[in-house]
Amino acid sequence: MSELVQLSDITKVYQGGVTGALNGVSLTVEEGEFTAVMGPSGSGKSTLLNLIAGLDRPTSGSVAVAGADLGRMGEAALARFRRDHIGFVFQFFHLLPNLTALENVLIPAQLKSTTSAEARGHELLEQLGIGEVADRYPARLSGGQQQRVAIARALINQPTLLLADEPTGALDTRSGDQVMELLMEVHRRGQTILLVTHDAKLATRYAARVISVLDGKIVDDARLETTERAATDVIRVRGEESRR
Amino acid sequence: MSLKYGLLGLLAEEPLHGYEVKNRFEAMLGGTWEVNIGQVYTTLQRLERDGLVRPAGERGDRGKLLYELSDAGRKALDEWLAQPESGPQELREDIYVKLLLAARLANGNLGPLLSRQKRAYLQRLRDLNQLEGRARKDGRIDLARLVRGALLHTEADIKWIDELSEMGISGESE
Repeated sequence: MSELVQLSDITKVYQGGVTGALNGVSLTVEEGEFTAVMGPSGSGKSTLLNLIAGLDRPTSGSVAVAGADLGRMGEAALARFRRDHIGFVFQFFHLLPNLTALENVLIPAQLKSTTSAEARGHELLEQLGIGEVADRYPARLSGGQQQRVAIARALINQPTLLLADEPTGALDTRSGDQVMELLMEVHRRGQTILLVTHDAKLATRYAARVISVLDGKIVDDARLETTERAATDVIRVRGEESRR
Repeated sequence: MSLKYGLLGLLAEEPLHGYEVKNRFEAMLGGTWEVNIGQVYTTLQRLERDGLVRPAGERGDRGKLLYELSDAGRKALDEWLAQPESGPQELREDIYVKLLLAARLANGNLGPLLSRQKRAYLQRLRDLNQLEGRARKDGRIDLARLVRGALLHTEADIKWIDELSEMGISGESE
């Protein structure tokens, strides 16, 4: 495995407030990892994701993704970098309402002008179990379907890194589970994923590495084991025996 | 929780031998509570003495005795099932006392302890998640439900640890 993301001593200061600021964050993400970033709102976890995506720039420190130093890039180069390397899934889908599901999926591909994009768009929608809604507009899709369209859009350019910011936050439990299972399936095929969530159950179910952010700092970086354990080693029910 | 009512509940489904009731009890709990067969027989004898179960027929093959629920047993079971669990919250894990003591002994610097404990809880969550997944896949719904309860409890423990960290009990920010 090689290093895909390298943050060195990142500081991010926002004018007029400390919310979302970062203070001396260093972090390395290896290729093929499924990493979860956890922390309360305002802790800086979304800022972290935006810096890695090249959507924002740090006040100091360096961000390198897939061997490229984002700090040295101008806006145009940064836009190309995002298109070629980053897939982003948001909490509230962010689909364009006047485009169909398929057209939404193809937006990043058209920016890249790939000829086989439409076929791949259909294929992705099929893989995500929503092939039949390709021609529908977002308003006619359920939340879970909209998020799957957003995932297809994030994957259309075969990104080096998939970033997901609370992807189940606006979904009911069942749709949320389906979306996470799909992301896991994508990960099994080799996709590197960085997931921001405040849900520890969700984080530990899918990610083998859980990073905790608090007040703009990484306070813990836990790599979890995946060994299969016997039920009695994980959970034990016991009670008082009836005396008398 | 009590083995007594577990046995009564299983006998309410059908009359069973001692070892059958033991096996069913353990299977229901997915092996998370191992019961000694001696305990089962002692409990059955007490239940019989109190008139809550009675032998169904004579001793059969190799001296095995089939037990069935009596009307009094059914009544006791129904009352127990209807009763909400209203006792004090039980905190059996050492961490609850460890944190209080560490706060006194280590000048309030709980950072490392909180961090280690959170890792342990995260690992437990992962293990529970995997167990729940396996239980569902194997169609062991009883176990999956039990594990779900444990998952939510562990999540609450993590929230507590996070809250202690956020409140700056780590000493640095106090």
